[in-house]
Amino acid sequence: MARSWIPLGWIAAVAAIAPAATPAVSYPVVAPGIALRFPADHGAHPAFRTEWWYFTGWLRTADGKDLGFQVTFFRTRPPIDTRNPSRFAARQVLFAHAALSDPKTGKLSHSERAARVGFGLAEARTGDADVSIRDWRLRRAGDGRWATRVTAQDFGLDLSFQPTQPPPPQGRGGYSRKGAQPDEASYYYSVPHLRVRGQVTRAGKTVPVTGEAWLDREWSSDYLAPAAQGWDWTGLNFDDGSALMAFRIRRKGGGTVWAGGSLRRPDGRMTVFAPGDVAFRTLATWRSKATGAVYPVSQELSVRAEGRVQRWRLVPMFAAQELDTRRSGMPVYWEGAVRTRGGRGYLELTGYDRALRM
Amino acid sequence: MQDDRTLLAVRALGKSVPGPRLLFQHLELDVGAGELVAIIGESGVGKSTLLNILAGLDEADEGSVAIDGTVLGTLDDTARTRLRRERIGFVFQAFHILPYLTLQQNVALPLTLVSPDAAAAGTRAEAMLEAVGLGERGDGYARDLSGGELQRVAIARALVHRPALILADEPTGNLDPETAARVLSLFAGAVRDNKAAGVMVTHSDASAAIADRVLTLGRDGLVERRDR
Amino acid sequence: MIADVRPAAPRPPEPRLWSARVALGWLIAGEWRFHPARFVMTAVAIAVGVALGFAVHLVNGSALASFDGAMRGVSGAAELSVRATSPLGFDERLYPRVARTDGVADTSPVVRLDARIGTKRLTLLGVDVVRAAVVTPSLIGARPQGADTGNDAVFDEDTLFLSRAALTQVGAKIGSRVTVVANGRSVPLRVAGTLPATDAAVAVGVMDIAAAQWRFGRLGRIDRLDLALSDRGAAEAALRATLPADAILSTAETQNAQGDSLSRAYRVNLDMLALVALLTGGFLVYSAQSLSVVRRQRAFALLRTLGMPRGGIIAAVVVEGLAIGLVGASAGLVMGYALAWGALHWFGGDLGAGYFGGATAHVVIQPVAALGFFSLGLLASILGSALPARVAARAAPAAALKNAGDVLDPRRRVAWWPAVALLVAGGGAALLPAVGGLPLFGFAGMALMLAGGVAGVPWFARTLLTPLAKRTRGSVPGLLAIRHLHGAPGEAATALCGIVASTALMIAMATMVTSFRGAVDEWLNQVLGADLYLRTTAGASFDPATRTRLATTPGIERLAFSRQIPLTIAADRPPVSLIARPERGGRDPLLVLIQTAPPLPKTALPVWVSEPAQRLYGWDPGERITLPIAGRTQFVVAGVWRDYGRQAGAVLIDEGDYQRLTGDDARDEISAMIAPSRDPAQVARAITAKLPAGLREQVEVSQPATLRRLALTIFDRSFAVTYLLEAVAILVGLAGVAATMSAQTIAREREFGMLRHLGLTRRQLTSMLATEGAIVGLTGALAGIGLGLLLSQVLIHVINPQSFNWTMTTRVPIGTLIGVAAALTGAAAATAVLAGRRATAKSAVQTVREDW
Repeated sequence: MARSWIPLGWIAAVAAIAPAATPAVSYPVVAPGIALRFPADHGAHPAFRTEWWYFTGWLRTADGKDLGFQVTFFRTRPPIDTRNPSRFAARQVLFAHAALSDPKTGKLSHSERAARVGFGLAEARTGDADVSIRDWRLRRAGDGRWATRVTAQDFGLDLSFQPTQPPPPQGRGGYSRKGAQPDEASYYYSVPHLRVRGQVTRAGKTVPVTGEAWLDREWSSDYLAPAAQGWDWTGLNFDDGSALMAFRIRRKGGGTVWAGGSLRRPDGRMTVFAPGDVAFRTLATWRSKATGAVYPVSQELSVRAEGRVQRWRLVPMFAAQELDTRRSGMPVYWEGAVRTRGGRGYLELTGYDRALRM
Repeated sequence: MQDDRTLLAVRALGKSVPGPRLLFQHLELDVGAGELVAIIGESGVGKSTLLNILAGLDEADEGSVAIDGTVLGTLDDTARTRLRRERIGFVFQAFHILPYLTLQQNVALPLTLVSPDAAAAGTRAEAMLEAVGLGERGDGYARDLSGGELQRVAIARALVHRPALILADEPTGNLDPETAARVLSLFAGAVRDNKAAGVMVTHSDASAAIADRVLTLGRDGLVERRDR
Repeated sequence: MIADVRPAAPRPPEPRLWSARVALGWLIAGEWRFHPARFVMTAVAIAVGVALGFAVHLVNGSALASFDGAMRGVSGAAELSVRATSPLGFDERLYPRVARTDGVADTSPVVRLDARIGTKRLTLLGVDVVRAAVVTPSLIGARPQGADTGNDAVFDEDTLFLSRAALTQVGAKIGSRVTVVANGRSVPLRVAGTLPATDAAVAVGVMDIAAAQWRFGRLGRIDRLDLALSDRGAAEAALRATLPADAILSTAETQNAQGDSLSRAYRVNLDMLALVALLTGGFLVYSAQSLSVVRRQRAFALLRTLGMPRGGIIAAVVVEGLAIGLVGASAGLVMGYALAWGALHWFGGDLGAGYFGGATAHVVIQPVAALGFFSLGLLASILGSALPARVAARAAPAAALKNAGDVLDPRRRVAWWPAVALLVAGGGAALLPAVGGLPLFGFAGMALMLAGGVAGVPWFARTLLTPLAKRTRGSVPGLLAIRHLHGAPGEAATALCGIVASTALMIAMATMVTSFRGAVDEWLNQVLGADLYLRTTAGASFDPATRTRLATTPGIERLAFSRQIPLTIAADRPPVSLIARPERGGRDPLLVLIQTAPPLPKTALPVWVSEPAQRLYGWDPGERITLPIAGRTQFVVAGVWRDYGRQAGAVLIDEGDYQRLTGDDARDEISAMIAPSRDPAQVARAITAKLPAGLREQVEVSQPATLRRLALTIFDRSFAVTYLLEAVAILVGLAGVAATMSAQTIAREREFGMLRHLGLTRRQLTSMLATEGAIVGLTGALAGIGLGLLLSQVLIHVINPQSFNWTMTTRVPIGTLIGVAAALTGAAAATAVLAGRRATAKSAVQTVREDW
């Protein structure tokens, strides 16, 4: 779900101070009642203010070692004057994050890319997924396979993702609410249980890997309620083929603004959670020495589904999976591989150093 | 008071000056320890040149000069310089007391040329000044002194490093007769007391009278005056 | 045979210097105690030399550092950049090509504009904040952090970030609105924050690149691509091969080299002048020590007699020189630092020459330079002492003891050949070409000629005085004076060498500057032939409509519009000025050609290059050259014109050709010829009234007289420091003459006593000394002036063309020559008389009797 605070943070403030003379950029409002159409909805939705392609997953090397990875491409549409004919006009801006978690070293390596769209250097295609920022690229081939290739100073990922299940729309047929206001929402679908093949390069050595990943696709124009502090999100692939997504948006000063999620069984049975159906309970915290933020890296997730309350204990691969991207004007967050009973996935914790602005 | 030791031995010395003019030749001279020899003669006979040769400041054309056994002719300039500052003392007509040094420093100068021990040199210089009757004047400067006093300082300087040979060129030439007499007797006494060989060049008979021997430098060489 | 192999027999220690150190110490200390003034004065001479050299060097270094800082501030310190060769920029489609080049890790496109806010100038940069964040983070603005603020203005087209200097100069506050004028357009922008990482002293503003392109009429063009590299070698090679003609590869070093090359010659020249002062100081030490040695000749002889080794005498004098050097050089460093601070504080980093406009300099400590100047001071002092010391040590002690006075023989011939040899060698060196754009051989030649001149002073004095000395009639004092100098010219030369050197250099400089100023004045009269000049500021321009309207202003006889833009030919050289103006049909009479090519073929595009451009790039008349105008365009050099205004060079092409090639229809300068009966001021008002309202504020109207006055003021200001340095050198030299003359006079006390005995009156003595002094001064002045005129030819025909690339004809500053000669003669005579009064004050009897 939830990850595009970065561009949104900029945009919101920019919109607020935009001079009256500039024609206001109007963004489409997210509303219920649409039907997701593929492959068009795999591609970019440039009219919306923000959008992302968010891969997380577990990898295993030939010698049986586990690794966690994240590859995310963000798209944002700043509220600039649409009359500006310059090729440099920031009509669309793309960002990308990639991270690799290695339990052996207990360290997370990460890297980022950013660019305004144009000149063939950064593009986000419509019609099907094809997003690139210079040498980083994510695309979906005609046979339905996704592929990404990112290279950074200290690691590189070259992965392909084979879907094994149809993508479940989140919320109400893809309309996923984030707050009390109906327009505080996004269009949202996930692709769980992606079979991963590819290569991981570390310290100049390239090794083949296999694994299982989760794709989150989300686009929106008005995401976070002003009262929100941040969110906790998790996406879990269970060994039996079930897929669970749950999130809660935390209120400034404590409490929950909104919550949601879904559980889909291998046979296609799908349970969509109401805000009251989801609860997170902190089991253990970890304090980042670098930023001072304290994260509930181990949580107990309880959801009311299939007529009963089901509980999963989320245990991180290791504690130090924080990303500090403030250097490029982005926030500090925790994005970590977690294990749970009968499954594995990712946990995302935002707004723990300061309130997220969107 | 004389000693048997011969400190200055001059053999068959000859010297010409540009012209060419023969100044002297076949000079023979021995001076023993504690002996003061006066050399007199008319102007231009080569008295000062002889003295310069004895001091190693000038070179003879023939013959040899030995100071306490060391033959000057075998030495280079550096060695002669060393010999001068260790074995020879000078008294000049014009005193040559450096105006910007104290009297004590002036006297100590020959010692300090050899050794950096300024304290020891100062003590010795003070003793020498005492000996020439200027005991309390060591901190003064040349400008405070009369001619006679300056020459007494010069004598102290000439003897301060216990030289084997003391050379004096008209030491009283700039002094009035009474002062001259006092300085001369001091000089002669000092030569004797220090067991040095003294050679004094003068054209004054009165001055020469103080010497143990008086030699006349003339065309015939050095002739001892026996009319004493 | 055995003797050959046996080890040296044990011998008493050699008369080593070390063992005589107490004696040496006394000797030196005594001399200091009795002649402290002499030591202080020589030390001051060294100190002045070191101080001037160090100060000039510090100021230059600090100015350069601030210039580098300014370059970095504007360029964002990118490792490598692709730059446009002219302000027209290059096509933005180069950006993706460069970004995809091997070895390029990231690329930040930049639009660069000369802009102003109110009257304050600044560099306006349009950047893509996302790219700049990676490549040139110092160009990223920061907003004050508050409750509701963050990095949220980065894509806003209305937002401007200002450097501290720009913010202060403009007097704006964060959050306030300012109107930025650039490329002839006024755009209101909101000051969103500062650029904390740029050099605080640089006036620069940063905004969004797309907004800059749009609002300031630069669509499709960019001026710079800043690069972050993963493989520099690969990137440079690939880019060099593929860049279009209107873009050039430039590194931080070449950027600095640009600033460096523009002012380097000026700075080196100043350094050289400062060294002259040091040289004069060295001569002064030489004079003083020579005299001191002569005076102490008998003391040294006594010491030699008493057994001081020969080296001891040298050591004593050299150690004195060393002490003088240590004291002088140390004091000089302190003085130099203070001077540099004061100069930067009051005059600015370029000492008023205008090379480093805009950047504020602070004194940058340079330990290596400090050490260098300290060593030079020490060296000058030691060398100045070593020569007289050797003379003293060579003297035969016995003769020196006996000889009461100066050993001089009026019949001795004075050698002239060393002087001639040095002069010839110097002349030969001056003919050699420049080394790395610096006239090093020119300076070497000047040094050799200077040495030759100084060496020739005794011969010169002798030759000058021989006819006079043969005279038998005249006043006794006069005859005595002449014969003394005639007999002892070396003594006079000792006193004179410092003054001859400094006078010669001053005359050389004065002649060069006079010639230069005369040439500039004449050139200004020729080029400022129009009656009115209009020039736009901050990139504003006269569009075709405006031009048509202006041409109909009553009272105008003819209007010539021109365009002037910088054009980069080589990355490490400052851009030349490209001037486009009507030239083809009927040549502009205001262009002063110094060389013309034979008639060109009709098809050839003519270009007229300025003299500096010709010399810098080797563009000779008739030659085909390629200029980065509209890609690569071939021109034929039709002529070379005189230009003292643009040191980096300028090329002039026809307005029509320019328009056709570039499509740029903007013009930024107008020269107007007005009808004879019209009042220029009135016509100027009429023209101004016809300008569009928006342009009116951006146009400066001036009359030729004003421009000429301004140009000459700038000229004089840039040479003010040279005058100052020269004056100091002359003062040091004069002080040397005064000291030497008085010392020599006092040393002749006994001679005066004797003369009094013979019946000369004190008045006659004084007049004799005055005559001698005047003759010495005049001799020095004549020798100095002659040598100076010779050196000025090296300055005019070697140093100037090689440093600044322009030539001129010699103009002799007769008034200055006469003034210098008179001043020197008078000063020397007065000094001699003053010193003589002291020397003749004692009773004659006393001086004769006195031994010392």
